[in-house]
Amino acid sequence: MKAATVIPESTPDPREKPGKPTRSRKRFWRTFKNQKYLYFMSIPFVIWVFVFSYLPLWGWTMAFQKYKPARSFFEQEWVGFDHFKTLFHDDQFLLSLRNTLAMSSMGLIAGFIFPIMFAILLNEVRLGFFKRFAQTISYLPHFVSWVVAAGIVTKMLSTDNGLVNDLLMGLGVIHQPIQFMAQGHLFWGIVTLSDVWKETGWNAIIYLAAIAGIGPELYEAARVDGASRLRQMWHITLPGIRPTIIVLLIMSVGNLLNIGFEKQFLLGNNLVTDYSQVLDLYSLKYGLGMARYSFGTAINIFNSVISVALLFTINGIFKRTTKESLL
Amino acid sequence: MESKRKIKTKASVLLLVSALFVGMLAGCGGSKNETAENNGTNSAATTAKDDNSPITMSFFSADPSPNWTGMKDEVGKIITEKTGVTLDAEFAVGDPQQKVALIASSGQYPDLISAKNDLNKLVDAGAMLDLTDLIDKYAPNIKKVLGDSIKRARYSDDDHAIYAIPTYAGVDQENFKVSGGFELQHRAVAEAGYPEIRTVQDYENVIKSYIEKHPTDENGNKNIGLTLNADDWYMYITVTNPAFYTTGSPDDGEYAIDVDTQKVTYHFKRPVEKEYFRWLNHMNDIGLLDPESFVQKYDQYKAKIATGRVIGLIDQDWAYGDAEKALKTAKKYDQGYGHYPVTLTKDYKETSFWPTGFMAGYGIGISKDCKDPVRAIKFLDYLASDEGQVLMNWGVEGKDYNVENGKRVIPQEVLDRKVNDATNFTKETGIGLYQTLGVHYGDGVKDSTGNYYTTNFPEQIVTEFNDVEKKTLAAYKVTSWRELFPKEDEFKVRPWGAAWNINIPGDSEIVVLDNKLKDITWKRIPEAILAKPADFDKVWDSYMKELDKAGVAKAETLREELVKQRVKLWNE
Repeated sequence: MKAATVIPESTPDPREKPGKPTRSRKRFWRTFKNQKYLYFMSIPFVIWVFVFSYLPLWGWTMAFQKYKPARSFFEQEWVGFDHFKTLFHDDQFLLSLRNTLAMSSMGLIAGFIFPIMFAILLNEVRLGFFKRFAQTISYLPHFVSWVVAAGIVTKMLSTDNGLVNDLLMGLGVIHQPIQFMAQGHLFWGIVTLSDVWKETGWNAIIYLAAIAGIGPELYEAARVDGASRLRQMWHITLPGIRPTIIVLLIMSVGNLLNIGFEKQFLLGNNLVTDYSQVLDLYSLKYGLGMARYSFGTAINIFNSVISVALLFTINGIFKRTTKESLL
Repeated sequence: MESKRKIKTKASVLLLVSALFVGMLAGCGGSKNETAENNGTNSAATTAKDDNSPITMSFFSADPSPNWTGMKDEVGKIITEKTGVTLDAEFAVGDPQQKVALIASSGQYPDLISAKNDLNKLVDAGAMLDLTDLIDKYAPNIKKVLGDSIKRARYSDDDHAIYAIPTYAGVDQENFKVSGGFELQHRAVAEAGYPEIRTVQDYENVIKSYIEKHPTDENGNKNIGLTLNADDWYMYITVTNPAFYTTGSPDDGEYAIDVDTQKVTYHFKRPVEKEYFRWLNHMNDIGLLDPESFVQKYDQYKAKIATGRVIGLIDQDWAYGDAEKALKTAKKYDQGYGHYPVTLTKDYKETSFWPTGFMAGYGIGISKDCKDPVRAIKFLDYLASDEGQVLMNWGVEGKDYNVENGKRVIPQEVLDRKVNDATNFTKETGIGLYQTLGVHYGDGVKDSTGNYYTTNFPEQIVTEFNDVEKKTLAAYKVTSWRELFPKEDEFKVRPWGAAWNINIPGDSEIVVLDNKLKDITWKRIPEAILAKPADFDKVWDSYMKELDKAGVAKAETLREELVKQRVKLWNE
């Protein structure tokens, strides 16, 4: 880092007190002029964010109305927090919230440990051909749509010539085929495992890239000092990709409630609804499906508020403990 | 800390992103231009004076139509030629509820919409045109076919507008074909020596004796006694509706309605239905019910049937038909299915054919976004004309049928394809794709030439049976499955039609209540069926309690009001 000369310019003058806007404004315009191409280039991006992320926020007003598509904004009937009250009094909603949090936390933990382990192990493979082969095979399932993947999973776990049951029976572990898909308490596990199968290879790519960025001289030095392969992984590789890990972790915590519904929708059935109903499915069925636009919006607002809160909490924790953070 | 290196990387990242973004914009722009051009041709066509000038109308249907070819089939081409209309159609996949709700809130409606039960969402959004005057002025054929029944097309007691022309039900329909009941493979009944199949016990015996003799098929795969399809709304068809068909109550959706007093009960609360589910529970206990019944998806269900390993079904032929077609194509005719009027005990009559009178309700409507409603109604009127109806049902004269001595006859080779290669036949000819688009006469009605409008009439149906099916029918001394079922005049006509097709105002409490009850039922019924027989009563009792708690009494009261309003609207 040969940035020493730039530092004085960008560190705020300690003597400068707040309440003297003229100087800082002047400074802002100077920087603006210097970097005008950068600002210029970011304009489309800002517009994009505004249009797709901020403009729709206007729709949140719906949650406080008894919204009907035929009426204009000024004709809508305002109902305050009625929809939120209905929402919090609904057992189904609480159940969905529990399922969402359970499955996403399980997914978060599994989707955090497996790709990192896989990336580190793959990095240690010396045989170039095998390494590329294994990597390709492992991320192929990522490109399979969930509809097909769910079909494969159900077929494998079927009692009617399903591979898993046949295997277990053949090994003598069980004597009767197990109805995996009919048991609610297995559902979270099945979803998590299928997710691991589908996404591990893909998610490992970013860690592999981060590992590739670690300087080889560090490993050389460690070898000279007599560190074993395991020691090198522990003291060089893992710390080397720590910033990547933390950024990805914070981002996925922010998405805890937005786990989508494809997996649950496609793998679930009526016998396991107590475990498979997630928030997105709930809002689809009880919101949009019944043309209760306002109610659906209320669910969505709740979702967003919780997500933002989670994001800030986890970000704060990391900021304190590791000095690494996203915001 | 802004190092120069960082600035450089940032700049290049930004550059890359904006480059991507510009690319995206260009892509979007391209497609927009295209649609604009399309619109251009459309409006140009509309302004032209000639009535048959080509025009494209967008169309949404709440029913899937997997064989739709975009009117490139023979019948479609002729319809386009006669009316100038080409439909740009979109069909709902899966549950149409959400799709219709989206259309309603988007404010951009297709020209023609067939929304079935979800019409209320569009009417609430003010999306539909009142067709009363249009029909009066421009649609003589629709008026003629519907006749007096047109008053049944009115939306509700409060709103007498016609938002949808009833195109699903046939006027003066007589039922010659059986689609439901309980199904058994021909080979199983043959081996049992064609016993009388009237009760669930008879049905169970046939399956049981067959499975005992043939536990596996020739490849060593297990034969399956009875499989059900509980994937989404098919739950109604194979699991819950049979509970009332077998216990003397007709199909009124999720409710049982007394034909005299119009008292409404959530049908699962009827004590006899508990006994029906107890029988299913017993079937599961003795291993005749496929353990995957409540787990499998619709495609897996069909795949299973297509292997020929499933002995018995409780389904409608339009739901399992694809799978049976595959068996027929493979010439495994003895693994096809016959329909039997099974009830819980002999005290009940099978109620599949309990008459409803003309069932208005489901149908096609014109949206307020339609650029040329007059052309649209004329298009629909053409489909309702004698010419249009014969074309939709019979196809092209000289190709799909011949007129011999004044009678329409389907040549043998066409018939073979129609029955045994149905998918391709439908795609090529388009026969069967357009029926629900137009007002039409039902089966058993004859036109001015003395021929039936549809191809479903007793003499014709018999020719469509294969030899194995004919043999089975002969063993029961009938010529079609219909004769096994009770006649329509054995029942009292329901003055409200059927409760499942009553339009519900969108903001009614009943919408949410119904959905809650449905969620409970769909969870508890499979649980009760799969429970140990000793636990069945316990599960059932807690199910009943849960229904009470969810407000089943209120749902019944609200529904009763709607039924009474419907009776008034249709019979005043």
